[in-house]
Amino acid sequence: MRTKLAVAAAVLAVLPWLLHDYGMQVAIQALVLAVFAMSFNLLFRNTGLLSFGHAACFGAAGYTTALLVSKLRWSFAATLPLALVAAALVALVVGFFSVRLTKIYFTMLTLAFAQMLWAVTHKWYGFTGGDNGITGLLPPGLLGNPKGLYYASLVALAAVCAIIHVIRRSPAGYTLRAVRDNPARAEAIGISAFEYMVAAFVISGTLSGLAGFLQVAWQHSAFPDLLYWTTSAEVIIAVILGGSAEFFGPAIGAAVLVVLEAVVRSHTQYWPLALGIVLLAMVLFFPSGVVSLFQRRQRREAPRAAA
Amino acid sequence: MTLPFFFLEFMTGLASAASLFLLAVGLSLIFGALGIVNFAHGSFFVLGAYFLFALTRGDAAGFWHYLLLAVAASLVVGAVVERVFMRRVLNRAEHYQILLTYALLLIIEDLSKICFGADYKSIGMPKGFEMPVFVLGIPFPSYYLGLVGLAAAAALLLWLFLHRTRYGTLVRAVTQDREMLEALGVNVPLLFTLIFALGIGLAGFGGAVSLPLQSISTGVAVDVVISAFIVVVVGGLGSIWGTLLGAILIGEIQAFGALVLPEFSIAFTYVLMAAVLLFRPWGLLGRPPAVRT
Repeated sequence: MRTKLAVAAAVLAVLPWLLHDYGMQVAIQALVLAVFAMSFNLLFRNTGLLSFGHAACFGAAGYTTALLVSKLRWSFAATLPLALVAAALVALVVGFFSVRLTKIYFTMLTLAFAQMLWAVTHKWYGFTGGDNGITGLLPPGLLGNPKGLYYASLVALAAVCAIIHVIRRSPAGYTLRAVRDNPARAEAIGISAFEYMVAAFVISGTLSGLAGFLQVAWQHSAFPDLLYWTTSAEVIIAVILGGSAEFFGPAIGAAVLVVLEAVVRSHTQYWPLALGIVLLAMVLFFPSGVVSLFQRRQRREAPRAAA
Repeated sequence: MTLPFFFLEFMTGLASAASLFLLAVGLSLIFGALGIVNFAHGSFFVLGAYFLFALTRGDAAGFWHYLLLAVAASLVVGAVVERVFMRRVLNRAEHYQILLTYALLLIIEDLSKICFGADYKSIGMPKGFEMPVFVLGIPFPSYYLGLVGLAAAAALLLWLFLHRTRYGTLVRAVTQDREMLEALGVNVPLLFTLIFALGIGLAGFGGAVSLPLQSISTGVAVDVVISAFIVVVVGGLGSIWGTLLGAILIGEIQAFGALVLPEFSIAFTYVLMAAVLLFRPWGLLGRPPAVRT
């Protein structure tokens, strides 16, 4: 595992010198979606809660950055703390009300909250620009240069992975999984399932905000699409495609999804059709994700991988 | 706001409620019986409209008899989709069910773009409803009333089917206890095909009869399915009368919300959905789960 990680890190570190302009754009987009997918999976993997509202945190951070830059002329990087705070606040509100509901009702309530935010953003022309969005946000310096943005995203991905790793191995991580596997029993030994799940939602949402910030820096604009439910669907696809049970599964899924999209779009306009077919094949034939396709043999030799 | 104006706004809301009911009732039925949240449901609504448009070639003259064909085509599509895809994920985790139906949404969107083109389709008022009616001296499209009548008839027929026929009894039974029904020797997989086809047929019917009022393109499916979710969540997943109530509430909120605060009329409906989920997660007329899991 350690050597594989080192090789992957080395490849990612030299990648900008091997890619041309378009390749860099694809690579940055893949990193940003990887940050988002890893953050999403922190909640999904450790609590079993399938949020359809993560677009709200992603977009709230993105719009905070876009608004501060366009209206108050803040420098791009300086907006990051407030963008994360905005994502955390949205996550706190949505999580506080939603985690009490189970299964499909949780999914529906998170969807409702995110759609509410989308509807307001989509129509509030005076403040958010409505569906015209906020454009012309050219970040100066490091974030404005493809290589700089690439490394910033790579550092963000590494940081998010490190945070998730620490949380998973901490007592809080074990507590979360205990709540996931048997809430009644966890409550019986004095664990407040509610508090742990809200905390997980807030951390996951805040880290998703980091992805939202990077997304706006990458596309130089913010549109209501950032908040629309299809954005939440995209991150879920990345997570399941890579495999939510594998630590780096979501990041790999994100990379596969973005690269696949770039390749398909260069040949045909029917990317949704291709994605639909890939998803069908995945659900029906390789439900544990692409990572598991390459690991089947290893798994048989060592059935008890680290939890 | 004068009285006739108020009344017309109410009737407009009722017409969109009729369209919403036909769209959402199948979603509710399917969730109640199969436990699947169908993200592709809006796509079947759009597909129904496309079938009608393709059959009539945009000419309202053949509306009524081609309507029957469009609904029949939707029923067949529903049955095939259930047989080929849905039954493979019935006992799987819900995120697989969601991904599968999302995959269908994407596939149907692009396939209908290939088959029918990406432009907006619309059709004139069908035969018998070409002339407006005068309500308190103001002209009003008579087809709005026709649509409300169609939806009311569909609701009544559905109720009669569910409560007065043997198959309807089986449908209601399978939503309560699938295993018991299997133990009694009922062909539950066949029943699921029937329910799914019925739900898709109703969505296709809804899409087809809504075509004279709203032009439709392939891209609207993602918006339409969210409206359907709001209606069934407000009314109660799995409840027919709840869906009717939800559709009327949402239709009227959209109609009157557009008068009060035009910019944020969509936001009102999400506020209603969130409020219902917070205080009655099982919906206004839904049944609370017997065992809280």
